[in-house]
Amino acid sequence: MTATPPRADTTGERPADPPTPAPGASQSGVDDTTTRRSPAQAEPPPGGGSTGGPAGGATTGPAPLAVFRAPGAAPTPPTPAPQTPGTPPAASAGRQGAGAANPASQARTGAPSGAYPTVPPQDTRRPAPDASGQYPTVAPPPNGQQPTAAPRRDQSGQYPTVQDRSGQYRTVQPGRERGGMPAEGPATRTGSHPTVVTPGHTTGGQPTIRPPAGTAPTSAPPTSGRQAAPGTPAAPPPAPVQAPAPAPAPAPAPAPQQAPQPQAPQAQAPQAPQAPQQAPVPQAQRAPQRPASRPAKRAGKAGKRGDAAAAPGRTRKGAAPARVKAPPKPRYKDRPAPVELAITEIAGHLTFTPTTVTAWYWLPEMRWAFRPDTEREAMIVAIAEQYAGLAGFRLHLRRTSKPFPADEWARTVNANTPHPLPTPPGAPTWSDHLVAAQRHLVSVNHAEGQTYLGITFARRTFRDNLAERLGSLRGKGVGHAERKRAARMVGQFDEVLGAFGMRGRRVTPTELEWLIYRSVALCMDPPQMLSSVRQGEWDTSDLLALTEHVERYRTPYGSTVKLVNRMTGEERHACVLTVGRMEPLEIPERHEPWMHFHERLPWPMEISSRVDVLGPGDTFRNLEHRLRMIRSQQSDYVEHGMDVPPELERLARRALTVGDDMTTGLPLDASRVHGWHRIAIGGATREECLERARALTKMYSRDMRISLQHPKNQEWMAREFIPGEPIANTGYVRRMPVKLFAAALPQGASNVGDRRGDLIGRTAGTSRRPVFLDLHFPMEVRERSGLGVFVSEPGGGKSTLVGGLGYLAARRGVQTTLLDPSGPLARICEMPELKPYSRVLNLTGSEPGTLAPYALIPTPQRAHFPTGPSGDREYEISVSNARAERRMLVQDICSMLIPPQVTREASTAALLRHAARQVPAEESSTLDDVVAALRETDDDGRELANLLMDAAEMPLAMLFFGRPDRAIADPEHRDVLTVITMAGLRLPDLKIEREYWSAEEQLALPMLHTAHRLAVRRCYSGDMNARKLVGLDEAHFMEGWRSGRSFLVRLARDSRKWNIAGLVASQNPKDILGLDVQNLVSTVFVGRIAEDPEIAAEALRLLRVPRGVGYEQILGTLSTSDAASTQRLTYREFVMRDVDGRVQRMRVDLSYVSRLLDYLDTTPTQPGAEPATPPTSAVRGATSQEA
Amino acid sequence: MRLRTDDDIYRARLLYLGPPGYTLPFQLPYAQYGLFALLVPVFMLIHYSFTLHVDLFPAWEIALSMVTTSLVFRYVDPDRPARMVVRTALTDWRRTREPNTEHREARLVASQVRVRQELI
Repeated sequence: MTATPPRADTTGERPADPPTPAPGASQSGVDDTTTRRSPAQAEPPPGGGSTGGPAGGATTGPAPLAVFRAPGAAPTPPTPAPQTPGTPPAASAGRQGAGAANPASQARTGAPSGAYPTVPPQDTRRPAPDASGQYPTVAPPPNGQQPTAAPRRDQSGQYPTVQDRSGQYRTVQPGRERGGMPAEGPATRTGSHPTVVTPGHTTGGQPTIRPPAGTAPTSAPPTSGRQAAPGTPAAPPPAPVQAPAPAPAPAPAPAPQQAPQPQAPQAQAPQAPQAPQQAPVPQAQRAPQRPASRPAKRAGKAGKRGDAAAAPGRTRKGAAPARVKAPPKPRYKDRPAPVELAITEIAGHLTFTPTTVTAWYWLPEMRWAFRPDTEREAMIVAIAEQYAGLAGFRLHLRRTSKPFPADEWARTVNANTPHPLPTPPGAPTWSDHLVAAQRHLVSVNHAEGQTYLGITFARRTFRDNLAERLGSLRGKGVGHAERKRAARMVGQFDEVLGAFGMRGRRVTPTELEWLIYRSVALCMDPPQMLSSVRQGEWDTSDLLALTEHVERYRTPYGSTVKLVNRMTGEERHACVLTVGRMEPLEIPERHEPWMHFHERLPWPMEISSRVDVLGPGDTFRNLEHRLRMIRSQQSDYVEHGMDVPPELERLARRALTVGDDMTTGLPLDASRVHGWHRIAIGGATREECLERARALTKMYSRDMRISLQHPKNQEWMAREFIPGEPIANTGYVRRMPVKLFAAALPQGASNVGDRRGDLIGRTAGTSRRPVFLDLHFPMEVRERSGLGVFVSEPGGGKSTLVGGLGYLAARRGVQTTLLDPSGPLARICEMPELKPYSRVLNLTGSEPGTLAPYALIPTPQRAHFPTGPSGDREYEISVSNARAERRMLVQDICSMLIPPQVTREASTAALLRHAARQVPAEESSTLDDVVAALRETDDDGRELANLLMDAAEMPLAMLFFGRPDRAIADPEHRDVLTVITMAGLRLPDLKIEREYWSAEEQLALPMLHTAHRLAVRRCYSGDMNARKLVGLDEAHFMEGWRSGRSFLVRLARDSRKWNIAGLVASQNPKDILGLDVQNLVSTVFVGRIAEDPEIAAEALRLLRVPRGVGYEQILGTLSTSDAASTQRLTYREFVMRDVDGRVQRMRVDLSYVSRLLDYLDTTPTQPGAEPATPPTSAVRGATSQEA
Repeated sequence: MRLRTDDDIYRARLLYLGPPGYTLPFQLPYAQYGLFALLVPVFMLIHYSFTLHVDLFPAWEIALSMVTTSLVFRYVDPDRPARMVVRTALTDWRRTREPNTEHREARLVASQVRVRQELI
C-alpha cells in the first residue's frame, strides 16, 4: 500500500463536499440511490423538464410522458385526477404555474414544457373567462364563425392567443386554422399551452414510447407523434371509444357564452388523456395567422365599454353590440426575420458554406476511468499525433449529448424477458415496473455524449459558388466537379482519424442534421423522435426545418441567451463560458481530461472548440516573431536606461526553451493548436443557468486550475456552436501543444454494464450514465461463466444489492434462490408482487435430513448430455465426479462436526476417507451410514463415530442426519423465488481459532456449507437453458475447505451449461482469490473497504485494476457519509467490473422499484420508528408463503 | 505528462517607451497608440460632417480620442482584445448594465440547407 493520494479521476463527487450548493447541483452527494426522496426532487432534470415537465410528474402522478409498456400485460389504470366537469379552464390555468408540484394538474392542462398533451379535450367553443374572471364580450362576427380575435387570457395563456409584449408566443386559432376539421370538441386543447403542441413533441428530453398495447385503451397512449412528424399535418385521429365524436360541423353562430357542450363531461373523464386529441397544426397554416394581440386588446376595451354601456342608467336603447373593426396592423411581426445559416449544403459527411468545405467525423467514446496510466498516456499521444497530422487545417470539435433512449432499453428488456412474473391483482405489473424504470431514467436525465470533429479543408472559389448558385436553380446544389475534388481530398482524413486513438468515422447526413439542430437549439431539449427512435420515419431536412421554430432573444450586455421553441413552448436560457487561463496540468496522473471533466456535473452541456492546428514550421515562425518582440522590448528598456521587467527575461527564456523543444523534438512536440474553447450550459430560467455556470466555473478553478470566463455578447458565442458559423470572439485564444489539446478528450466516457439488463444504478465517477446489469448476459451472449462476486465491508451494501438483484431477476421470471443466513432478505418474499410465487425456507426450523450431504449433490441425468458414445462417456464422467464430490463433501462435513483437535490428527482423515469409501456415494445415502461404517472399523473409528453422534445430539445437527425430506429439497418445486435463511444461527468469527468457537458456532460452519449446496441444488432440475439465479451470502465461510473450492468451481463451470447466474457475496476478496476461481468470475462489485489497505489491494486484484497507484484509497471513499450529517447514508457505491472488463465506480439506485428498499432495509431501526414489514415468515420457519 | 499552454509568451506587455533618446513620461502599449491613431480621423470626420470645416489642429478630436482610448483600454486584457471591447460597446451602447427584458434576435434557420446522402 502506498501513500499515493487518491486518484483524481475516479473520486467522483464528494459527498462531504458537493461541488455546488446550487439547487440543481446540490444533489450530487446524496441524490438517489436508496433515497426515499422522489427522484425528481433529488435531481432536478438538468436538461429537460424545464418547467416541471416529465420529471415533475415522474413520481407523483401520471406523468405527461408516454412510456414503453410491455404489450399484453394489463397496465394499472392511470389515475389522473378527474377534472370536475364544472371547473372552468381558468382554474387549471391558475394551477399551471405549480405544475411541477402538481403533475396531475399539469397533465391535465398540458405542460408548458410541451410535454405530452394528456389533456382532456375540453370545449373550445366555450370561451374561457378572462383574467378578471369575466367572459369576454366580443360579439361573434356576423358570419357566424368563430371570432377571429380569440378572447384574451392572462399570461398563463391557456387560451390560444398571442401572448403579450415579449411577443414570444403566437398561436393558432383553434377554430379557423383547422380548416377541414370542423369541431374542436375533442380535438382541441383549451387547457393547453398557447403554442401548438404536436403530440409527438415533448420537451421532457426523453421520448418514451408506449407500445402497441393490446390492452384496453384506458392507458392507451396518445399517438406517439411518430405518426405525425411535426410540421406535417396529420390525418385526424380516429375517434377513440371514450372520446366524444367530433361534431360534424361548427355550430352555426353559437354565442360563445351559451354554447352548450354536451361532450364536456365525457371529455373530462379520466380516460380522455389518452385519446389522441390533436392533429398537429402545420406550420404553413400557422404562419398566415392574423395577429391577434391588438384585437385582443381592443376586445378587452370593447368589453369594458360594453360593460359600461350595459350599466343601468347609461344605456341608450339597450346594449348595442360593440362594433368590431378590422384589426390594425400588429406592432410586432409574427416572427423575427429568419437568417439562413452559413451552411448551404450537406453532402455525405461534408458541409459547404460559401467560403469553406468541412469534413465531419464522429468520434466514439473512450473509457478513461480505472485504466493504467501507461494506457492513458498512449491514448493521448496517439490522439495528439492524429491532430498533428491535421496541421494547417481549422478544426471544429463539437460535443453534444443525446438523452438516454429509455424506451429503447425497455423494449430490449421486454424482448429479453419472455415470461415475466404474472402479477397478482393489486400489485404493480411488469409493465408498470418497466414504466417506473423508464420514468426514473428520464427523471435523472442521463445523457449520452456525442463528439464530432469537423475539419475545414478547402476554400471555395468564386467559380465554385457560381456553380452552386446555378446548380441550385436546377435543384442540384454544389457542382459535381467540386464534390469530386473534395472527395479526393478527404480520403487522407479517413486515414488519419480512423487509426488507433480517435478511431473516428465519417458522420452520416442525419447525424450532421442532428448536430446542426442541437447547435441552433443550444441546450434545448432535442426533438422527441429522433432522440431515441431509430426507426423514426423522418425525411431528409425534416430536422433542419425544425430550426425555424427556435427563436433567440438577447439582452444588451446579457449574460445569457434566451431560446424559445415555438413548437413546444420550451424556453431555455443558455450561457456560454470560454476557457481562460490554464495552469499546467498533469493529465493522466493527477488531472482528468479537461474537456471530459464537466461531465461530473449532472446536467448536460455542450462543447465547441474551434482551433487551428499549426505545423512545426508555422509554430516556429510564430514563436520566433514573439521572441523577437520580447527581445526588442528588452532592448528598448536598456536603451532608455530603464530597469527591464524580470518577466520579460523569463518569458524570453521560456520562448527559447519551447523553440528548442520544437527544433530538437518530434513534429508532435512542435505542433501547436491555437483556438477557442467554449462550454454552453442551459437552464430553465436565467437564474438557474447562471447558477449552473457558477458551479461549473468553481469546479474548474478548484480541481483543474482552469479559469472559465463568461464574456459578453453571448448570442455571438452561442452562434459559434453551429457548424460553419463564424468565430464569435477573437479573445481568449488558447495556444497549446497538441498533446494538451488531445488530453482534453471530450469523448471520454464511463460506461459499464450491458444495455439489456435491469437498471441498477448509475455511474458515479466522472460522468453519470445508467448502469444496467443482466446477470445472464455473460452466459448467453459472451459465453463466459456467470459468477458474480460482491466484496465489501459489513454495511457496504452487499446484501441489499444481492437482494435487489434477486428481486429484479424474480420479476423477470428467473428462478431465483437466495441464501441469506442472517435473514433480512426473506422480507422481499412479502412483497405483494412476489408473494404468491415465493417461499422462505428457514433451515433452523427444518426437518431432520434437510441438509443431508449426500442428497445435496445431484446425480446427473442422461438426458442432459448429448446422445451418442461421446455423450455416454461425458455422462459417466459426470456421474463419477458427482460421487467423488459427495465423498469429499461428506468428509468435510464430518471434519467440521467433530472437534478441531481430533480433526488435526492424521488418523482421522484416513478413517473418514475409509468410511466414505464404504458407503455408496449416492443421493440416497445418509450420514448415519457413514457413522455405521466408522463403527465397523477399529477403536479410533468407533470413537470418531461417537463424536459424530455427540454432535448429532444438538438439534441443528439433526439436519445432517437422516433421510432428506423430499418436500423441502423437492427439485420439482416451482416457486420462482426461494429465500433460504438460518434465522437465529450464530455465525462464528473466522479470525478466532476454531477451538474457541462455541458448539453452536461450530455447527454454523457445516450448515453454511451445506446450505450453499442446497441453494444451488434447486438449479439442477428442469430445463437446462432456463435462466436461474443463485445468490449466496457469507461465502467467506467456504474458504479453507476442499469442498468449498470445488463448490465454487463447479458453480462457475456449470453456470454456462445450466445458465445459472451465481452471485457470491463475501467480506474479503482473499476468499475468492484464495479459491483461485478468479478467472471464472465475470462480474465484480467491490464496495467500501476502508479499514485494511491489504484487503483493498486484494480487491483491486479482483477488479484487475493496477495496484499501488492510489486506487486503493478510492475503495475507502466509497459510500462515505458526511461527518456533519446525522442522517443515514441513503446510497451505496461500488466499483464494478463488468464482463467486458470495464471498471467504473457506480452508485446503486433501486429507488424506482416502489417499496423495495423498505423491504430490503437491513439496518436496525429505533423501536419508535416505523419498522419495515416484519419478516414473519423467517420466524415461523419453513412455511410455504402461498397467498 | 506535464502539459502547459504557451499563453504566457503571448501575454508579455509590449510598451512604447518613447522615441530613441527621449523617454516618454508614460508608457502605453503599442496597441493603444494604434487605436488612438484610428480614432482621431473618425472624430474629425464626425466633426466635419457637422461643421463642414476641418481644423488644422484637431484639439477636440485628439482629446476625445485620448479619452475614448483610455476608456476602451480599461477593459482590454490579453484575453480580451480591443476589437471585441469596441464591438461589444457598439452593439450594446444604449445600456450600461443588463436589463430585464430580452430583445428578439434573428432566428437562425437551417431549412434551406440542401442535404445529399452521398458525396458523389
